Amino acid sequence: MKLSSTGYLVREGFRNIWANRMMSLASVIVLVSCLIITGSAALISVNVNSLIASIGDDDQITVYLLPDLSDTDSVKLESKLLAIDNIAGVHFRSRDDVLKDYKKTLGDDIYSAMQGDGNPFGNEYKVRLDDLSLYADTVAEIGKLPGIDSISDRSDIAGKLTKLNYFVTVVGMWVVLVLGAVTLFIISNTIRMTMYSRRFEISIMHSVGATNAFIRIPFVIEAMMIGLISGLISSCIVIAVYEPLRSAASGIIGMIGSSTLPVESISLPTLLLMSGAGILIGLLGGSISISRYLNKEGGAVIGR
Amino acid sequence: MIHLENVSKVYPNGTKALNGISLDINDGEFVFIVGPSGAGKSTFLKVLICEERASSGTVSVNGFDLMDIKKRKIPYLRRTMGIVFQDFRLIDKMNVFDNAAFAMRVIGAPEKDIRSRVNEVLALVGLEGKEKSRPSELSGGEQQRVSLARALVNKPGMLIADEPTGNIDPEMSFEIMKMLTDINKSGTTVIIVTHEHDLVKQFGGRVIWIEDGAVLHDAVIEPDESLNSDDAADDGAAESNDADKKEADAQ
Repeated sequence: MKLSSTGYLVREGFRNIWANRMMSLASVIVLVSCLIITGSAALISVNVNSLIASIGDDDQITVYLLPDLSDTDSVKLESKLLAIDNIAGVHFRSRDDVLKDYKKTLGDDIYSAMQGDGNPFGNEYKVRLDDLSLYADTVAEIGKLPGIDSISDRSDIAGKLTKLNYFVTVVGMWVVLVLGAVTLFIISNTIRMTMYSRRFEISIMHSVGATNAFIRIPFVIEAMMIGLISGLISSCIVIAVYEPLRSAASGIIGMIGSSTLPVESISLPTLLLMSGAGILIGLLGGSISISRYLNKEGGAVIGR
Repeated sequence: MIHLENVSKVYPNGTKALNGISLDINDGEFVFIVGPSGAGKSTFLKVLICEERASSGTVSVNGFDLMDIKKRKIPYLRRTMGIVFQDFRLIDKMNVFDNAAFAMRVIGAPEKDIRSRVNEVLALVGLEGKEKSRPSELSGGEQQRVSLARALVNKPGMLIADEPTGNIDPEMSFEIMKMLTDINKSGTTVIIVTHEHDLVKQFGGRVIWIEDGAVLHDAVIEPDESLNSDDAADDGAAESNDADKKEADAQ
């Protein structure tokens, strides 16, 4: 293809959108619907992952040491804890720090009376894990160390979080894949119908010596523009409703507000990804249907 | 230059459209392809423009071996020829200028060259001043002239006209045929598929009669001067129309 044709072909692509405006409008509406669902599924997946990550951060195991274990022996345990696989980090809290947590509940008088030897609490470690699914094994390993009184048991939450994370990731991926395929099918059918409605023009192009690449380009541009327009519209809609929905969800479950992504951080990626997905779907769908048409039924010139 | 040797074409459904055709058409010839409906004329044309591949034999057109041509080379074969159709095949959303320019645009000609060449060819076919008209605003004869202009803009060495006068009135048929002979005189090979025998007699030239997929006669006939006066042209065209009507009634 010569460079002098580029302007003509791009103009033709845009002209096609207008010439087939009803078909283009129908495609944009269907694509916008699919992209909104796909984009929403992706955003929900990202937010649930963010929520799980923030819950995971808080989900530390507390290792309570025996009250009569000396401070020196307590500190020595840190290296033994860190030697266990799957422990990402430990944080030592002295019995005085633990008592301070209860200062408000106990009141000043009782709190003062419990200072020093009267402190019933032992020292403790907050332990962070690498992989929550190995929670039970790690707790068993910690339990084998000397001087341990007890370990906070949150294996139930850990298991549920792991399952939720897996579910959200798998379901999100399938939703994106299935709806991606649906949108691809829709746009390829639209372009196929457009080509069929313009088969007369295509046969003239063949008769005057146009190459298949030349015939293909305006249709691909048309499909990509339909994809881009759909991507832009759907991303604007998703961004517009994101914050009100997030606020509403926060009203029901408080921690959603602080643990999910604010609209500022999702706007640009959403706009770019959904527009990019629209263009890509247009490019793929358009190319597939055009190649099939030109190879199977679009080669006629005299045609009788 | 066209060279066909023992060319046969059998369609996948078993129909034998061409049956051992052998002929040569040299550069600059003026050739009529005639024959009844279903004789194989359309298949013959399709083989020449490589819309269909011959089942056997040898086909060479303008230096391209059509038995062995790669699919991606077919557009380059078609750029060596201009094609005129019975139904004009004009794009109504484009004006006359753009319809004629279409053939240059699809081969990537620069816009400056397109402007000068299209205006030159439109003047040649007598369509000056009609550049901005839509095909639907033109008469049948004028539409065929636009089609002719589109076929000529790329300066092809060969012009193939498939029933060029089939959809236009007798007076315009004469005009179109006159233009085709003038184009031939300038050195372009002209191949006309027609069933209008009076026009063949009137203009003369090499006549290849195809029947049952084979060449029945191949001879040069001289133009019948008695038919070349305006009145005779009208009479001849009227007769041709009567013959067409009778043929249509019979069908």
